[in-house]
Amino acid sequence: MMVDAGHLALVIAFVATLYVVAASFVGALRRVPELSTSGRYGLYTVPVLLGVSTFALVQAFVRNDFSVRYVAENSSLSMPKAYTWVAMYAGNSGSLLFIALALSVLAVAAVLTLHRRLPYTAPYATALMAAFLAFFLGVMLFLADPLERLPIVPEDGQGINPLLVHFGMFIHPPLQMTGLVSVTIPFSIAMGAMLAKRGGRDEWVDVGRLWGMLSWLIMTAGLMLGAWWAYTILGWGGYWAWDPVENSALMPWLAMTAFVHSIMVQKRRGMFRMWNIVLIVVAFTLAQMGMFINRGGPVPSVHSFAQSAMGWIFLSFMVGTLALSMAAFVWRMDTLKSREKLDSLLSRESAFLVQNVLFLLVAFVTLWGTVFPVFSEAAQGTTVTVGRPFFDRVNGPLLLALIALMGVGPLLPWRRATPRILFAVTRVPVGAGLITAAVLAAFGMRDPVALLAFAVCGAATAGILHEWARGTRSRHGRGEAYPVAFGRLLLANRPRYGGYIVHIGIVLLAAGAVGSSFFGVQRDIALRPGEEASFGGYTFRYLSHDVSLYPDRREEAADVELRAGDRYLGVVRPFRAVYPDFNIASTRGAIRSTPVEDFYIVPSEFGDDGQAVFRVMVNPMVWWMWASGPILVLGVLFALSPQRQPSPAALRVPVFAETSRA
Amino acid sequence: MRLFHTAARAAGLLTVLFLLACSVGDDLTPDERRAQELNRAIMCPVCPGESIDQSQNQLAAQMRAIVAEKLAAGESEAEIKSFFVERYGDSVLLSPPERGFNLLVWFVPVVGLAAGGLAAALALRRMRRSPHDDDEVPIPELSRDEREEYVRRIESALDMESGRGAERQ
Repeated sequence: MMVDAGHLALVIAFVATLYVVAASFVGALRRVPELSTSGRYGLYTVPVLLGVSTFALVQAFVRNDFSVRYVAENSSLSMPKAYTWVAMYAGNSGSLLFIALALSVLAVAAVLTLHRRLPYTAPYATALMAAFLAFFLGVMLFLADPLERLPIVPEDGQGINPLLVHFGMFIHPPLQMTGLVSVTIPFSIAMGAMLAKRGGRDEWVDVGRLWGMLSWLIMTAGLMLGAWWAYTILGWGGYWAWDPVENSALMPWLAMTAFVHSIMVQKRRGMFRMWNIVLIVVAFTLAQMGMFINRGGPVPSVHSFAQSAMGWIFLSFMVGTLALSMAAFVWRMDTLKSREKLDSLLSRESAFLVQNVLFLLVAFVTLWGTVFPVFSEAAQGTTVTVGRPFFDRVNGPLLLALIALMGVGPLLPWRRATPRILFAVTRVPVGAGLITAAVLAAFGMRDPVALLAFAVCGAATAGILHEWARGTRSRHGRGEAYPVAFGRLLLANRPRYGGYIVHIGIVLLAAGAVGSSFFGVQRDIALRPGEEASFGGYTFRYLSHDVSLYPDRREEAADVELRAGDRYLGVVRPFRAVYPDFNIASTRGAIRSTPVEDFYIVPSEFGDDGQAVFRVMVNPMVWWMWASGPILVLGVLFALSPQRQPSPAALRVPVFAETSRA
Repeated sequence: MRLFHTAARAAGLLTVLFLLACSVGDDLTPDERRAQELNRAIMCPVCPGESIDQSQNQLAAQMRAIVAEKLAAGESEAEIKSFFVERYGDSVLLSPPERGFNLLVWFVPVVGLAAGGLAAALALRRMRRSPHDDDEVPIPELSRDEREEYVRRIESALDMESGRGAERQ
């Protein structure tokens, strides 16, 4: 019953979105505000309708209603009960429904922030968001119906992919999918402003930035949780492998990072108007590319959960929207002239531009490496693999350059810096970087790349801390106590200091990545119960092993007693589960994490007599990477927290600036 | 100068942490290192997107054993790689063999870097206020009165921020 209601809701939602597109566009073009308003109210019904469909699907999963094809394909009676609540996004069509629901909620929230502030832009943006919703709903209804019934009801379902049975399943996939689809919102706002000929008025910038940063935040959280998940479950002790699907999630993040920076130049200086539109179009296209790579599966990936034969439709949709965006951009180009000129090549504006170019380059390199196997197959008939060595070698230096720029760029003044100013602001970070490298070298670190990377991290941190110290002292000089001065300093310019907090998070992330990839060590060690071994300063005794049988899997766990030097650390219990139906083994490492290093032990093989092969790793500084997650979130929220001052872009532009445009 | 010391101290603290973190006893044998490097350069043919170092698959474990065996027998990295390429094709290597069409994979990013740099330079030049006067343009000198007015405004802005303004919201 509920399933039929859910299906009906899906159909109505599809019709509703089509109406919203038509009403909003016609209302905007013919200037019939009533029509636009009716379109807006139409949009408000969509999340409610999709909520009904989602409820129906979740309920079908929880009740093991295998008459629904998708439920039968992605769950079974024997799977852990808790996961039936989230199995709806374990496969292709259900994850489409989730994406549509997330997009509809975001779209309504966005329209609520838009329609009063940007009355001319809002109808276009509404129409665009509704059009993307209509696309997803159409795909579901005509090609991949999540609520389709089976003619014959099977006794049991096929089960969920075992790799998805992990606590991360509750948060990473929803965040990642929401993140990718959330790019639609700033894209629609920017395109809407441009279509309404308001692109040159910078009034869309505040809302665009807000949604750009929220989208960035969701993507960041999704990526970090994905890395954490991979680290704990895939059993190889790594967190990022430059796998095609990982790359496809990274690329829109890179473009969005460029966008949320470059939008500040438009906010503050009325420049980069065309460039920001280009960036958001790139980010949106890359997000769709991600959807295509994930669902169409042109390249083999470890993450092929939502594979389907409908890659072509996502690819054509991507090409179509890209072409339309470009056409619209050219059509409205004359409304996007910059208000200001660049005063000097040495200025924060140029630093932003260089940053944008570097981020786009990383995105481009990532895209190139990801799709190269496809080209290779077409051009020379052989498949090749482009993996980690390529990305490390090409993206590594680019990312390091970005961190160096992150240390210097924010210290440069707007408009114009002189070499003297440049020297003055870079003195502290450069000095700190040199000291870092010298000390590390003196203590025996020899790898030049690692030295350089740590020096850059040190420099970027010192630059930020120096700024904070300087601001706090100058306020202290005006009679505020140090803690008060520091707090007020941060509160006074939240976008700026929130940005710094994010930057500190990025430094931690980078330092953790460098530390663990340059100095991580591993060894495979075979032990019988009762035997012990030591590695990397840790001693571990394999106490015992036990087997538990579940309907869907055979789980073998090992009790391992752990000591660091003479210190007793306790007993850890890594395990390995084998799912015969899927021919998949899923492992769960035992990780003892400290800020200094992670000790990671995972059984990779169990013999008949209890003998086990353990993979043992000591990964330095991984903790720092996970610690950066909350800092990034905090920084973004701080930067977005409401502030009193109007942004300069919202102020009236003096007459002379308008006339001196020629 | 005291500021400089603050920053230096912060950097020093970080350095100590880096050191602690990276002082892991490197007790791997050279053979182990070489084996691990090779494992990370060879794909597991049956597990999409994973190297044999990563993969938990049986075949990957066997391939790791072969790598270790062959290294112990004195075979070179290139020999071991070509052993696997003969069996599984070029796609078994994480990094495509560097010849012919495959060189494009390295070449295109370099072109991209050059193009990106050029585009940025051109864009900056086009955005410049005037191409003739470089950084020599003097920053306008403020008269004494103007300077005082400027300072006064900053002060009042600061007061607004830090004091009453903040509570008023």
